[in-house]
Amino acid sequence: MSLLEVERINTLYGDSHVLFDVSLHVAENEVVALLGRNGAGKTTTLRSLMGVLKPRSGAIRLNGRPIQGLAPARIARAGMQLVPEERAVFGGLTVEENLRVARLTAEKPWPLDRIWEVFPRLKERRTSRGRTLSGGEQQMLSIARALIRDPSLILLDEPFEGLAPLIVQDLVELTKRLAADGRTIVVVEQNVAAVLSFADRVYGFNNGHVVYEGRAADLRADAAPMRGFMGLAA
Amino acid sequence: MPARLRSVLPELVLLAVLAAAPVLLPPLGFSHDLLSRALNWALFGLGLDILFGLAGLLSFGQAAFYGMGGFVAAYLLVSGTIQSVWLALLVGTVAAGVLGLAVGWLAVRRIGIYFAMITLAFGQMAYFIENSPLSDYTGGENGIAGVPVPVLGFGASAVKITAGLPMYALLAVAFFLGFVLARRIANSPVGLILKAVKENTGRVAMLGHDVPAYKLAAFTIAALYAGLAGAMLGPFQSYMPPDAFALETSGQLVVQTIVGGVGTLVGPLVGAALWLWLRDNLQLIPGFGPLWKLVLGLAFIGLVMGLRRGICGEILHRWRIHRDAARLRAAQARTEAIEAGAATAAPTIAADVALPMPRPSIDARDAEAEIAIEARGLARHYGGLKAVDGVSFVVRRGSIHAVIGPNGAGKSTLFKMLSDEVSPSAGEVLLFGERLTGAGVTRAAQRGVAKSNQLNQLFLGLTVRENLRVAALARARGRFRLDLLLPGAGRPEVEAQIDAMLRLLDLTERAETPASVLAYGEKRRLEIGMALATSPNVLLLDEPLAGMSPSERAATCALIRRIGRACTVVLVEHDLDAVFGLAERITVLSEGRLLADGPSEAVRRDPAVQKAYLGAVQDDAAHAGEAVHEPA
Amino acid sequence: MPSTAALVSQAFNGLALGSLLALVASGLTIILGTLGVLNFAHGALFAVGAYTAFVMMQATHSFVLALLGGCAIMLIIGFAMERLVIRHFYARPDEDQILVTYGIGIVLVEALRAYFGGNSQRVPVPSWGIGATKLGFMVYPTYRLQLIGIVAALLAGLYLVLYRTSVGLVVRAGIENAGMVGILGIDVRRTFLFVFAVGIVAVGLAGMLYAPVVAVTPDMGASFMVQSFVVIVLGGLGSFPGAVIGGLIAGEIISLTSAFDSAYSEVMLYGLMALVLVARPQGLFGTEGRV
Repeated sequence: MSLLEVERINTLYGDSHVLFDVSLHVAENEVVALLGRNGAGKTTTLRSLMGVLKPRSGAIRLNGRPIQGLAPARIARAGMQLVPEERAVFGGLTVEENLRVARLTAEKPWPLDRIWEVFPRLKERRTSRGRTLSGGEQQMLSIARALIRDPSLILLDEPFEGLAPLIVQDLVELTKRLAADGRTIVVVEQNVAAVLSFADRVYGFNNGHVVYEGRAADLRADAAPMRGFMGLAA
Repeated sequence: MPARLRSVLPELVLLAVLAAAPVLLPPLGFSHDLLSRALNWALFGLGLDILFGLAGLLSFGQAAFYGMGGFVAAYLLVSGTIQSVWLALLVGTVAAGVLGLAVGWLAVRRIGIYFAMITLAFGQMAYFIENSPLSDYTGGENGIAGVPVPVLGFGASAVKITAGLPMYALLAVAFFLGFVLARRIANSPVGLILKAVKENTGRVAMLGHDVPAYKLAAFTIAALYAGLAGAMLGPFQSYMPPDAFALETSGQLVVQTIVGGVGTLVGPLVGAALWLWLRDNLQLIPGFGPLWKLVLGLAFIGLVMGLRRGICGEILHRWRIHRDAARLRAAQARTEAIEAGAATAAPTIAADVALPMPRPSIDARDAEAEIAIEARGLARHYGGLKAVDGVSFVVRRGSIHAVIGPNGAGKSTLFKMLSDEVSPSAGEVLLFGERLTGAGVTRAAQRGVAKSNQLNQLFLGLTVRENLRVAALARARGRFRLDLLLPGAGRPEVEAQIDAMLRLLDLTERAETPASVLAYGEKRRLEIGMALATSPNVLLLDEPLAGMSPSERAATCALIRRIGRACTVVLVEHDLDAVFGLAERITVLSEGRLLADGPSEAVRRDPAVQKAYLGAVQDDAAHAGEAVHEPA
Repeated sequence: MPSTAALVSQAFNGLALGSLLALVASGLTIILGTLGVLNFAHGALFAVGAYTAFVMMQATHSFVLALLGGCAIMLIIGFAMERLVIRHFYARPDEDQILVTYGIGIVLVEALRAYFGGNSQRVPVPSWGIGATKLGFMVYPTYRLQLIGIVAALLAGLYLVLYRTSVGLVVRAGIENAGMVGILGIDVRRTFLFVFAVGIVAVGLAGMLYAPVVAVTPDMGASFMVQSFVVIVLGGLGSFPGAVIGGLIAGEIISLTSAFDSAYSEVMLYGLMALVLVARPQGLFGTEGRV
């Protein structure tokens, strides 16, 4: 049985239909990438999974339990954790306070020390307010906030966006380590090369439809199938 | 019914009601005095109805202007400075207007919660000024007694307008004239712009209207109405009470107007009559007296929770639904057909773009300029994040120019700097060789830079025609104009522009449909059309194809190509197939910096661009890169 | 020019008034900051607090018991208001929230008037606060000194709740981004309910503590509410430190001005607000962009 099963969900954003019958599945310990151009529906998919957006139809199951229609707080407590695109670090709270908010409702939260091991940089800045962090540090904090809850599934939305190449490298290394540790991750990212370096499987999105499903290794060997949904020189 | 007659029907009905009321209503507990007081409140409320109903600004400080008008007029009369009551009414009204201008200047900078708090605080300030520092003039807590009644005519034939029916007639005439004027204002270009401000303030500013000035105008008009009503209060009851300035007065006005129905102009009258009637009659019931306001408060909560439109608003709404039911159903059916792909989803008209309204003129010495818009070293930093970092490029006049780049490359920020929505941290934008940066989005629009947005920013409550009218009026009237008495549709050049736009967008059949009912693709077209309706020199399109179906995309591309023959177009778009098909030149951004800039074909073959989009795909990138390089 | 003694005494009055305003405005500002709702019933709830003190004082003859009982009553009112009305307005426009809370304010004030009558009631000064205290350079009413101390303790308590407890952590996070708090597994609606009730208890306590100093009438809260609006415009919307410091500034301005000419005390306060609006529209402690 898959950890996450999504069956034909349809989501509307205001007046426009954004997701059309999107189905996907994620097995335990798997890293799955959602690729596609901007506006293809990737972020909307993650937000629908987390309950931030309510799909109009379809089913979502986490560990076999249906979660569609639940509030984000309930879904978070069921073990799913979204790291949003805009990072959403609490700017007025310190790094440590950000982490403490996150662990409040977790069943088996990580001790802070374990976070400091993974993110030595955050330990150095533990008393700094969120808004004084650099973009890369904010992204680390946002990921750390998810990890501290020890979720069974992490959704990463554009984790490398707007960051300098060196920091992206660090974050890629981090994600690889998480993958190697057996974390289950669904990631949305425009930086295809970075994502393909650690993903196991890929779903290609176009205009709100899933148009491709395959192994990352195959795409690493031959990028041609990506033309259909990444859209350069198609 | 002839159209002319129908257009003045509300006035005729109101006239009949005002004439019949003093005859028919007294047996129901509406004395002439009660009706007169209701009319005074209603005149006061017309101003609030324009301010809140039309412009969406909820003020809790209207008592300041009511009191100002009242005490200025009463003082001038009682002190003997002015003999004529009519002149005193005029001076009081103007004084309230001046105060409105001053308070409004501070208040309209803020909206919503802030606006309500600020108006409330200034209302209290006025109350305390009246009560203490100025008590030598205003009588402090005693008010001003012995205010004379107005006199009609001269010498021996002069008639005093005394309490009772004569005073009712005077107040009825005042309210009727106030109503006629308010209706003219609501139907004027200013009224339309205020309605649009209520729906989407940002878009009105982007189209080139000076939003703060229009809000200030609405605020001042409301103050003038309040001032006139206040000035009439003294002569009406021969006494000017200090509680005209009280917070209670502002609150009562708000409640009455909401109960009666905001945005209807008759709502304030119905609300006031009901409030006063309840107060006078409930108090007569033994043991119930002190409860009348409690009951009213509960009813008010229920109204706000449920029937948000108020009494008249609800009646009007139902009547309109009944009247327009068939038309609306037809419009919705068409929308569903389009959404289902059954009807033609896209414009199929081959006509070239011809805009009846002239564009903003360009300085003679720049008229020959080859460069329409130029970015020079543009940068924008958010905290530590460099969203845009020193980008320079030029857009040739009459070309279609695209800006592309991966997510987070800084395209949206760059675009916002081109229209001066966002001020750059460094660098500048030149429009036909002249500095545009620092002008602000409204002035930029007036100088001929129009923008359509990634997410639709339509006035959903207005019809398609009205949406376009708000846009075209910005070109026809400039940033600010107080043509309060002109009909909104009274400019032939604007109407010609709208008709041309409707044909171009293939929305002629949908002209009278509310924008909220349109199909998604139609809304996208209207979004672009609103920008174009300002007859711009440079049209900025932010992801014009976002969310469109393939057939809609093709049609919209054709539309953009036609627009490109009429004016300079700059577009941000993620659909690269479309971009390469449309743009003559392309600027590529990556991580806030300029990655490439040049003719479409060259950019397409640039390896750096390929890399930015797909990344260096591991070690076997060469092989994969080849595959990607192939032209379609 | 007033004497130094008169000025010092007025400065103490300003402290008493200012600390009360700080308490009222804190309640207003944490509700506004977290829930996004401007509570126009705040003044009415101040009066409800004062009447609660009146009733409980008659029943128990102990001011401390009256305060405790009063808090329980305010808590219930806060819960009921949030559950029955406010909750349905989170997604509605600002104007609707203002109107409905204004309506609740009318109902509360009129209910007080209907039950207790329009005449003013007196709440006795607690036995331990009767008389005056010699401060060396002047003599000052004992209860007012105690009032300053009690309110300072309450504000410190509120500070501790907001900055030293996990609930406070959630509230502060919620003020910034309620959506993200939900994504982190926390039931935001329960937090909202808690915040609203705390805000109502704060304003109720201010009313209870003020009751022995003034005549208790149904309308007594109106001017406090408007002044607390000014305080949060001064301090910055949603800022707890801003509410406290803004409250003290407002209290001192009103009191010190009236040492010179009481006619201008309120006028000066609103004049300062106008100045802040022009020079620093986000308020002294507000961050730009949070409206």
